[in-house]
Amino acid sequence: MDSILFLILRRLRRPLILIIVSFAIAIIGLTLMPGLDDQGHPWKMSIFDALYVISYTATTIGFGEIPYAYSKAQRLWLTFSIYLTVIPWFYAVGKIITLLQDTGLRQAVTTERFAKKVRQLQEPFYILCSYGQSSNLLAKALDEKGMRVVVIEPQQERLNELELIDTRNTIPYLCADAILPENLERAGVLHPLCSGVIALTDDDNVNLAVAVAVKLMNPDLLVIARAERDDIAANMASFGTDRIINPYTLFGDQLAMRVHALGTYLLHEWLTGVPGDTLPPPENPPKGRWVVCGYGRFGKSVVENLEREQITTTIIEAMPELTGCDYCIVGSGTEAKTLLEADITNAVGIVAGTDNDTNNLSIVMTAFELNPKLFVVIRKNRRHNGRLFKQFNADITMQPTEIIAHECLAHMISPLLAQFLSLARGQTNDWANKLISQLVMTMGETVPETWAIRIDNEDTPAVIELMETGLNVSVQHLMQDPANRENQLELVPILLLRNNVPSLVPDPNTRLKAGDRILFCGSPATKSTLPSILNNTKTLTYIIDGVEVPNSLVWRWLEKKFKRKSHHTESA
Amino acid sequence: MNLEKVVFGFFIVLAMTLNFGFFIGDIDNASHHHAYELYAAIIVSLIATVLKFGDRTHVGAILLSTSLAADLQLIAAAILWAALNGTYDEASLTVYIVSLSGGALMANIISVVLLISETISQKR
Repeated sequence: MDSILFLILRRLRRPLILIIVSFAIAIIGLTLMPGLDDQGHPWKMSIFDALYVISYTATTIGFGEIPYAYSKAQRLWLTFSIYLTVIPWFYAVGKIITLLQDTGLRQAVTTERFAKKVRQLQEPFYILCSYGQSSNLLAKALDEKGMRVVVIEPQQERLNELELIDTRNTIPYLCADAILPENLERAGVLHPLCSGVIALTDDDNVNLAVAVAVKLMNPDLLVIARAERDDIAANMASFGTDRIINPYTLFGDQLAMRVHALGTYLLHEWLTGVPGDTLPPPENPPKGRWVVCGYGRFGKSVVENLEREQITTTIIEAMPELTGCDYCIVGSGTEAKTLLEADITNAVGIVAGTDNDTNNLSIVMTAFELNPKLFVVIRKNRRHNGRLFKQFNADITMQPTEIIAHECLAHMISPLLAQFLSLARGQTNDWANKLISQLVMTMGETVPETWAIRIDNEDTPAVIELMETGLNVSVQHLMQDPANRENQLELVPILLLRNNVPSLVPDPNTRLKAGDRILFCGSPATKSTLPSILNNTKTLTYIIDGVEVPNSLVWRWLEKKFKRKSHHTESA
Repeated sequence: MNLEKVVFGFFIVLAMTLNFGFFIGDIDNASHHHAYELYAAIIVSLIATVLKFGDRTHVGAILLSTSLAADLQLIAAAILWAALNGTYDEASLTVYIVSLSGGALMANIISVVLLISETISQKR
């Protein structure tokens, strides 16, 4: 802010000096002009009166002739003074207005304000290096979860949208290019509370540049970057980008997960959703022969994953030589002829995976007419086409933006959640279904909150204190209602990490140890109740023993006395 | 030779000398201290202040602050004069005004000392 003030002062130097000089001449002249007072005695204006008269004259306010009617000489000088002072005055005012409208200066002011807002953040926050469709969703979800977000985005129109939406916390934003390290610094890469940087722009090179810059500036920071090209992804991995997201492989993966283990997929979607949302009923893709239209990055990933699940595919591709497709039917898939050639009538599913929304819709509509029993997977590229896709109501609508947002959330909520999800993939479908029914029983069908705690002096002082007195504190105790220990809180511990050894859905009777990390899944209300158990020795004692410990010294002393007395009488 | 430096030095020295001219004389004798001299001192001091705007060197910043200190006291003296003239006995009013201008003189002297020291430390 200092530099801006000095910039303004420097630019105003000339108009200010002009005003001072012209006023000085006008004032001194006015005091020298002979005049007459109301009694007709000779009178000269004092310096103070002259300053007053010139001030209201120069600013064109014009109160008239004060304190007495002026003589000819005074009027003559004042006429001259008007032209002398009014012009510099307007010059200065004009200069100030141009200065305020100066785009360079305004940019400097907004940038400085943004940097100040970021510096003043008191909570952990994430930096989003774009505000496109997936970042948009991500920002909304993080805000819903009460996490702070900072946005850098080079396009003003997208930021206008951000300005209009309702958020719980203010989201500081800057219209600038994240590729410049100084903008990253302003966004708080070096801020001690910054928890991570997320680069999800459409341009792989920008994401790469951001990831490199962040890892150089602050190597310990979490970096999640989107990369569609394999060489860029490898490059990112080489310097330790924490998570590289390729939406196409991700979707292929998820499709395979759906075919293979629907429960696991559902669990994944549920734990990374926006709290409060309900999940649509999932469709289980059928096994059999599928027709895949479009063999681009998306199609390739789908085919690869479907084949891994022993599903045969027939590929339709308009430009086979460009996409490196050896065995396929040439055509776009929008005409019935090509689809019949691919034997659509005997297929169980169709994937419309071209990068053109209109074509995708046309493909599935034609295919649906030929075979109404088809399982339809459609790729949606543009978010504003959402209405059309909703109207068509495909079995699975693949939307890169949502997939990216979910994947980012899994890593941002807690490192434990990402670990849990990767472990869950290794489990059977039955295991996942059982966990889901347990979760639904405990907290209903809306998307729950997921959060992690660590058993230590800072996070859970009460647990540590009671453990030091030799009491047994188990996971079960953290699941009881502090208002009535007979009731259960709406939460389920889904992962316990002890000495880096994870155990999925720990047994409630597990004894807690210092240094344990637990991932909970529960209703938002429970998330705010839990700290009262973890921080308050009295509450925790009540949960464990069912005894209310007196708060004040006097009551404690009385209780001790009373206990001893009853002890004596008992022994006697 | 740099015209900007000439103008700059001229105004700083003139601010001090005018201030000194007003200050010198019996402290309670109004006839030793002319209103126009105070007026000129204020104008020159204001110009000197504006000239220092935007100089981001360290010496520039100190010069600006000493100049602001001088302005403050000179303007306070002028306001006293304008406001209390005629309602107060002349000798004690003069003492107030002149002592304020004496404070401003100190600030102006520091300005000039800084200017001289900067000039001497100039290598070329």
